[in-house]
Amino acid sequence: MKILLLCEGPNELAVINLLLEHRLLKFDYSDLLDMRPFHARQLTSPQLIPALNSYADGDIDVIRIGDRLSDKIIIPLWINNIHGISKVCTLSELEILLIISVGLWSDFRKVKSKIQPKVYCKKHIKINKRFYDNSSQFYRDYFSDCMERLIFSIKEYKRLHPKQKKDEGYLADLLK
Amino acid sequence: MKLLSIRAKHFKNLGEDFRLSFIAKAKKTSEDKEYELHEIAEGLYAFNTVAFVGKNASGKTSVLQLLDLVFSVLGDCQVQAKLYPFDGVGLDVIFYHEGFVYRYLTDLRVDARNATRAVFANQALYRKPYFKTNAKSVLDLEGFVQVQSLTPLPDDISIVFFVLKKAVPEAVYFDCDGHGYRTYKLLFDAVERYSISPAVLTKVLRLFDPRLRSLQVNDERSYRLSIGEQTMVFTDYELWNYLSSGTTKGLLLYITVVASLSVGFDVMIDEIENHFHKTLVENVISLYKDKSINRHNATLYFSTHYCELLDLFNRQDNIWICQPGEPVLVKNMYEHFDNRPELLKSKLFYRNAFGTAVDYDDLMAVKTELYK
Repeated sequence: MKILLLCEGPNELAVINLLLEHRLLKFDYSDLLDMRPFHARQLTSPQLIPALNSYADGDIDVIRIGDRLSDKIIIPLWINNIHGISKVCTLSELEILLIISVGLWSDFRKVKSKIQPKVYCKKHIKINKRFYDNSSQFYRDYFSDCMERLIFSIKEYKRLHPKQKKDEGYLADLLK
Repeated sequence: MKLLSIRAKHFKNLGEDFRLSFIAKAKKTSEDKEYELHEIAEGLYAFNTVAFVGKNASGKTSVLQLLDLVFSVLGDCQVQAKLYPFDGVGLDVIFYHEGFVYRYLTDLRVDARNATRAVFANQALYRKPYFKTNAKSVLDLEGFVQVQSLTPLPDDISIVFFVLKKAVPEAVYFDCDGHGYRTYKLLFDAVERYSISPAVLTKVLRLFDPRLRSLQVNDERSYRLSIGEQTMVFTDYELWNYLSSGTTKGLLLYITVVASLSVGFDVMIDEIENHFHKTLVENVISLYKDKSINRHNATLYFSTHYCELLDLFNRQDNIWICQPGEPVLVKNMYEHFDNRPELLKSKLFYRNAFGTAVDYDDLMAVKTELYK
């Protein structure tokens, strides 16, 4: 059995790679198909073909990570070893983790109907003098020196968002 | 150094004004940036995999040989011992190196003193600084300034030596034929040059033949092969007869791929499917697309008859369609064809969207003869 980890965007991929590098997840690189998470929304992504072909005789559990996972996953006819598919949602955007990390969740809630988390972060989140720039490198630079901050944000996100849909899990559920 | 474009004349059947460029032209999605593109300078994206596809006699090999010629000039700063003609070839090459974009022009002539070597005539070298704001116009000829005051070099050494400072192979070319029993010497030369560990060699050996435990140099022309519980000594010729030709060819190519990925030089493979099992071909292509493995911006250029391999590509501007003709036509899939990107590229091939399908009537004509 291998896990196929599909990250919706490059920032989700950066966060997952950070967690994997620090061995903070229930699984490690060797448990993942092709020993890595992928930046892909669907199983039809060309980048997945070699990995899926090289593991055609084993079962695969798919975990999708993203903010909006409303599109149904398409399983191409030639793939017949998908054992299960689960979703991990980071609504409304991954930037919520940054907001929680600096204790601005309450402040953001007051304006969240008007301002996207991304825009809010560009004004309020910074490392030294560098403001958030929506890059995956920012996530890496921001959290890599203090993984406790990332773990806190992920767990706090689950506590603050108790009403996730039934078929959607939390990043916190993937932590050791 | 990263090659950005080539303009060539009089090279084999490629015509008087043959052009290729290797910078991204189509929209760059975040997935493409993750899997198919190298950011070689801020805002300047080159491909990590480049494919040439077409039926027989469509110029695929010629294109890869031209690339080999260009990389010999840019890497070794000289041209020698080529299996294709280079006399009279004109090159106009643009490459990126350490913050500058360079344009290099030359005409190659056979060296009258040594017919296997080339001399460089009519050389000129220009450069311009690279700025992110000029990323889209990086190939424009405006702004180049000639590099002056170059001290004379022997005429069989290219003046790009002054820029690149040392002769270092920038790419390795694999033709379809292989090197026969000489493969093992080339293999262990590569192992030594690129400090490839015995553990890596052992794992690569097992990819091709699970019975093989190790292969080591015994002396200059013999090797120790451990297979199962046995260890045997073979001369290179005996070993070539003992191992399958696929294993021998594949070993050298895969070890070269390992070196390419760890050091950053490019690799060109003619008819990639002739060297490996399909799963291994897909694996090699995916290694070049994996940034955690391909950390030094190596590029894989390959030709293939197997259009299914193109389904591994999300983009279209890193695929060239080769069509027979005089000269042959080499068309960029993105620039010259208008197909919906979400369609499988292999399906488009079978529907003859690129004019590359084998003619049905020709196939039936042969079959009719076989019926007789």
